[in-house]
Formats: sequence, C-alpha cells, structure tokens
Amino acid sequence: MMFPFDFIGAANREVGLVVAMLIGIGFGFVLERAGFGTARVLSGQFYLHDLTVFKVMFSAIVTAMLGLVVLGGVGLVNLPSVLQTAASGTFIWPMLVGGLVLGIGFIVSGYCPGTSLVASASGKIDGMMTFLGVIVGSVLFGELYPILGSFAQSGAMGQKFLDQVTGIPRPLLALGVAVMAIGMFFGAEKVERIFRRRRGLDVDGDPAPKTAIWGRFAFAGMGAAAILGVATLALPESTRAAGGKQGPTIAKGKTYSLISVSQLAGRMVKHPWSLRIVDVRPVKLCKAKTLPGAECMPKAKLKELNLDVGAGSRDLVLLCRGDIVKFPRVALTYKGRVLVLKGGYAAWEAYALKTPKAPGDNASPAAWSAYRFQSAFHQSVTGRKTAPAVKAAKYVPKRKKKKRGGCS
Amino acid sequence: MEDQTTVKPFWNSYVAGVALGLVLLTAFVVTGRGLGASGAASRAGITALNAVASAHVDNNKYLAKAKADNRHPLDSWFVFMALGVILGGFVAAYSAGRLRREVIRGPRITARSRLLLALGGGVLMGIGARLALGCTSGQALTGGALLSVGSWIFMMAVFAGGYAAATLVRREWL
Repeated sequence: MMFPFDFIGAANREVGLVVAMLIGIGFGFVLERAGFGTARVLSGQFYLHDLTVFKVMFSAIVTAMLGLVVLGGVGLVNLPSVLQTAASGTFIWPMLVGGLVLGIGFIVSGYCPGTSLVASASGKIDGMMTFLGVIVGSVLFGELYPILGSFAQSGAMGQKFLDQVTGIPRPLLALGVAVMAIGMFFGAEKVERIFRRRRGLDVDGDPAPKTAIWGRFAFAGMGAAAILGVATLALPESTRAAGGKQGPTIAKGKTYSLISVSQLAGRMVKHPWSLRIVDVRPVKLCKAKTLPGAECMPKAKLKELNLDVGAGSRDLVLLCRGDIVKFPRVALTYKGRVLVLKGGYAAWEAYALKTPKAPGDNASPAAWSAYRFQSAFHQSVTGRKTAPAVKAAKYVPKRKKKKRGGCS
Repeated sequence: MEDQTTVKPFWNSYVAGVALGLVLLTAFVVTGRGLGASGAASRAGITALNAVASAHVDNNKYLAKAKADNRHPLDSWFVFMALGVILGGFVAAYSAGRLRREVIRGPRITARSRLLLALGGGVLMGIGARLALGCTSGQALTGGALLSVGSWIFMMAVFAGGYAAATLVRREWL
C-alpha cells in the first residue's frame, strides 16, 4: 500500500470532503491551542515581544518536511506524487507582491485568513470582521482579474522546489533547514526576552512553563527525524524508487509486454477504466486519428507525462505506427503494467476501421465468435452498420460461452 | 467539560508547532493535499455574489471557475476544511475557557476603529492570497514544508510586509 490515497477523485468525492473536514478540525484545534485565536499573540510577532507565530510556523514546517522526507525515503509515501498534487506552481512576481500585500493585511487585521476563522469560532468580533474582509478581498480580486490577470501569471516557473534549484538532495536540504530553524528558535527566544523587557512585560513570559520540557522533546524529535531522513539516502535504490529520489526510476527487472489488437479491443469494451492508452506517434498523426480515449504524446516527449507519478492502477498501453521499433525506456517508470500494441496503429486500423470479413462456413466457433465481436466493435467505433448477418445454424449447437461475446 | 472560569494556558509553541506539522503531514500522506483557508473565503464570496448576480459571475472568467462542472461553488475540499477549522477552533476555545465575545485591541484604539482596520486588513489579505495562490496556510505552511520555491518567496514577503507596516499601525496594538 502506497500513500497517498486517491481520495479527491470523483468516485470518492464524499469521502474526500469528510476527510477534509476531519483534517480541518485538527487544524483549527491546534491553531487555537497555539494561541492563534487571538490577535494579541499574532500581532506580537511584528513587534518582536511574542514570536509564537514564527516558532509555531517553523516547527510545523520542519515537522511536516521531515516527516515527508522520512516516509518518502522508506517508500511508504509517494513523495513526487504528493509534491505534484499539493504544491502550487511558482509564480515569482505575484507571490512576492501577494506576500507583501498579505503581510500588510496581517498586521493591520491582526490575523491571517486561517487564524481569523479560529478567532471567529472563539468569539472574537475582530476575527469575524477580518474573515469578512478576506471574503470581500477575494471577490474583489476576481473583479479586478481582467486587469490583474496578466500580472498574476507572470514569472511562471511551473512547480519548482528548493532541492531542484540548489541541486542538494532533499534529505540533506531538509536537515539543513531543520538545523537552521532550531538555531533560529534559540535566537527567537533571546529576541523575545529583550523585547519583552523593553515593553515592561513579564520576561519569563512562557505562558506554559510546565510544558517547556516538551519543547525540548520537540527539538529532539526534529533532530532525530532529520538524521533518519538523511539515513534513508543509504537505503537501496528500489526502496527509494517510490519516493526518496527526485526524478523517475525504473524498478529492477521491469519490462513491457505485447497486447494484440483483439485483446485490447476486448478490454476497451469490458473495462475501459483499466486502460491508459498513449499514442506515441507524431502529434499530427495522433490528432488526425487515434484510438478512442487515447492521449497524444510523441515518443520523444513521453517524459512530460510524468508517468512515474501515481499508483499506476491502470495498464499503460503504448501505440506506435506499426510494431514498436525502439521502446521508450521512460515508459517503464510507470508503476503499473506497461503494454505495447502489437502492430501499432496499422493493426488497429485493420481490426477496427475496416469491415471485417466473415470466416468461412467451416470456421471454428471461436473464429465466428471473434468475428461477431469484431464486427460489433467495428460498428461501435465507426458507426457503420456493415456487418452481414451471421449464419447461426452452423455454430449455434456448439456455442460455448465465450469471454469476448459481443452482446451478452 | 472544563470549568469556564479557569482559562487553560496555551501550549508550548514548539509542541503546538509539531502538532500542527503532524496535522499537515497527515493531510499530505492521506490525501495528497495540504492545508488551506483562503480558498474557502473565495468560495463563500463567490456564492454570495452568485446569489445576487449569477450572470455577472458567469461572465467573469476567474469567478466562473468556482462554478465549473456545474458544481455549487461551496462544493469544495477547502470549504469543508474551513468548516472543520471553525469546529476545531470552537471546541479548543470552549474547552480551554477562552470562548468569549470580545474585540482584541491595543489600549490606544477604539473598538470601532479596530473593527474597521480588521475589515480593511482582511480585504488586503483576500487580494494578496488570491494573487499568490494561497495564504499563510496554503502557501507558506503547506508549500514551505514541500520546499516549494514560490512558497518560500511568499513567506519571506509576508514577514517583510508585516514588519514594514507594523510601524504604521503601532497604535492599534501597543
């Protein structure tokens, strides 16, 4: 079993929404207990006498970052898949300006959007006003989109991650971030002390001195997780293939198999959801004519499909012009079975697009059965009703229940 | 339930941070998504606008996205998460004895001005969050943990903006 589950998919939508709500409950509960339900704590960050925001936020980032690195490293979580679904693309300019605007709004309102919800839930009228403002601002942005739209798209880099940019392996980078964060926590304690004294506040202001010892455990936990994350680099390739490494890897001994066009047609009728058909011919050919439900992606660009991402619950079927000449290795990064259509598009054309010829009177029942299926398939693909009536008398007595029966 | 008159202290910041990180990690592992809050605000706003001016929403490419696939704008992952946040926040505040109707403000500002500033700051955050494709939860926290480049740029910018403006609104807090 590999995480994450595919909850958000249309089939599981209701389950996904319930899970979203449960996670939200945890989120809201922790935010409140951290002190984020009151603007007094949040605003303190910007006058330096209460750095709870920094401390909580960075402990959370470090925890989740290390957790992903460790779970991905041991192959429990498909890290590339999580990165792809959970991270937004990077748009440098709108993120810089959006951040500045949000930061100004943060200190003016005393909340951020999430904490304003928590504040509202704990009865703070200013929290409610803030969230109302966020609603108004969001709609206002939509209204201004015709003007702001092009700026909102500027500096687009796609999904970019710090390990790609720096070239440092993610576990090492995570260790670095964790060490830096812990160093900054000690700095933050000092700064807090200085500014609390300056404002005449209680210097030993830790509101929960009894739990301070748990803070030490938190640090120790982060340190241990960071080391564990780096240690996963030493695991064999196959374990990490799932998540620890950037970029696709191919499982050892994995290869592709051939599928005949009649087998493929059978599966297209019976369980089309079990197939992922990719037409690797030049785009022009594919755009003109291809199999129903096939994706167009020329062989040279196959990498762009990120085939390594996802659980690979469907079988991947590649389709060339004829028999495959040079198999694209990158297709083997796909987690599920990889099939290649025997005879390629030419075989498809011959099987599905041409009117099938009826076998002779002496043909075996199997041949007749295959013919019946093929002509039905031909009809459904082309819409042509050209199949001649079949001679029932000859084969009905011997008729066995065939797996690929056309209209059973 | 706890006695309402005794107020429990907040958690140690690092413990709260680790707990928050574990919630985020759970979201990543179980659902493949992070946390978010501003998306729900956007959906709520579009719903309200849609009720009074449906055609207007349809004509705006950005706003109409919330109605894609003929779904209700509130039929969204992040709206349900926000409902959870309200519920979780409420339970936490109630059980800690912090559930109180009040306006948090500094000693030198009236409640009225404070509420106006809260509204104005909220509007700015709404615009900023949409521009940056997320707020402190969806962008800084979630993307930060994923080591997304844009999220770290966003996070630095939030702190920069906050510190720059803090001197201007000092009266509001100190």
